Amino acid sequence: MDIFGYHIPIELFFILCIIFVVLIICSSTLGMISLMSKSDSVSELVVRTNSWWKMAIGITIVATAPAMIGTIVLAYVVFVALREMLSIIPLRTADRTVLVASYFAIPIQFYLAYKNYYYLFQIFIPLVMFISVSVILVLTGETNRIGRSMAIIPTTLILTVYMPSHMVLLFHVSVPGFTVGAGGLIIFLIMITAFNDIFQFTWGKLLGKRKILPKISPNKTWVGFIGGILTSGVLGGALSFLTPLDYIRCVYLGLSLSIIGFIGDSIISAVKRDLKIKDTDDLIPGHGGAMDRLDSIVLTTPTFYYLLIFFIEN
Amino acid sequence: MRKLFVTFIYTILVRPWLTFFIGVSFHNIEYLRDADQFIIVANHNSHFDTVSIMAALPSKLRKNTCAVASGDYFGKSSLTVSLMKLFFNAILITKKVKPGKLSNMEVLDQRIKEGKSLIMFPEGSRGNPGTISSFKKGIAKLLKENPTVPFIPVYLDGFGRVLPKNKILIVPLVCKVRFGSPVFATTNDTKTTLEEVKKEILNLKKKNERDRNQFEFY
Repeated sequence: MDIFGYHIPIELFFILCIIFVVLIICSSTLGMISLMSKSDSVSELVVRTNSWWKMAIGITIVATAPAMIGTIVLAYVVFVALREMLSIIPLRTADRTVLVASYFAIPIQFYLAYKNYYYLFQIFIPLVMFISVSVILVLTGETNRIGRSMAIIPTTLILTVYMPSHMVLLFHVSVPGFTVGAGGLIIFLIMITAFNDIFQFTWGKLLGKRKILPKISPNKTWVGFIGGILTSGVLGGALSFLTPLDYIRCVYLGLSLSIIGFIGDSIISAVKRDLKIKDTDDLIPGHGGAMDRLDSIVLTTPTFYYLLIFFIEN
Repeated sequence: MRKLFVTFIYTILVRPWLTFFIGVSFHNIEYLRDADQFIIVANHNSHFDTVSIMAALPSKLRKNTCAVASGDYFGKSSLTVSLMKLFFNAILITKKVKPGKLSNMEVLDQRIKEGKSLIMFPEGSRGNPGTISSFKKGIAKLLKENPTVPFIPVYLDGFGRVLPKNKILIVPLVCKVRFGSPVFATTNDTKTTLEEVKKEILNLKKKNERDRNQFEFY
């Protein structure tokens, strides 16, 4: 389908229409409710929906624009997430040089992904940055609590830069006869991850009793977890038209992304618990910081990429 | 023309650079909406403090606001002096005043009587990141001399990590500029006023920490 001479696959156009229609329905319903009664819970929902609008527009840009613009937008989002993580972790003044080096890892990593230099992409952060961080820390010469920084900074880089940067590799996935393109794969990944969070939350609120991780996240229940997995599997199957895979493999993808998304959410929750904060920042009104929204997607992105490649090849 | 240039630099370059690259967010600027003349009082950890407060102000107020800075530190070369005067309308004060000239207090008092607003860091020096050291008396004296001028407390969070004292490297990290509502000094006693000012800034600090925890986990 062509809009102003710009080609968008019909499947992609269809799913984007659904997303925006749902958002319009949400906003107008909330608008009518807030006309009748003004309560705190309604106004918080309005704030949240407004933030969803902005996120949906961002996702639309990444999914429909040329690969270069998508890469730049993703790199900036990752920069914001890394900045947020490095701000909440208590680090030493001597670590400041390493922090600058960590920021420089983002453009390099995304350039490697954009150019599809696969092996360099694979080793850059786990190997090159891991060694560089230690070397710079040693050269700085401040040995007091140096081991802590040597552990925290590479872990943060892997979690917030290396893992989400796999999304750029989706631009290079090509399967004969598959016309939707990378946009469809990105929408599939983001929709499964985002709706999985919502499914787990809703199932937990409706029926959940037994807590699954009482010490880390008191709102997560067994019912929420199982219900979320099953519903995400169904959604994966329903969205199979966005991927080159058949129906049953998309159900598998939905199930596994749901489990991995739950794990990512729990990891960031545990870190926040340790630091005694509830949100990483207040950047996105109603949702907390960028890392609060990206917590599950950082782990689902590489899972999705490697499973997709495995399913395409086998 | 000069004022237009400064406004242009702030809105096109400084503010986007601060928000999108460094990670500065501005909170409760609406308290300044009805303000006319004021003395901004903030904690001081970094050179970024003055830049961020200046960038946060609406351009109408910015033209009329002078930052009080140390002449001993910034007065070394004529280039820094002219840049400070251009971008911060800086009033440079020195520890030792030359004989025959107005004292620091008199200079500041005169500027307030002219209708200018001031930005002051009562700690005097930038100190260690994240700490608020004891306040100097100057601010309380100025408030006593000018009872019609309110002070606006500002809490600056995180700037000490972006660019601490004696460092050149700038590291982008999340930091916050939080404005409080204008407050009029209630007593004539300098010591009580000083405590009041410090209490307002510490209140903002507490609010900053609470704000982060207001939403539910999920």
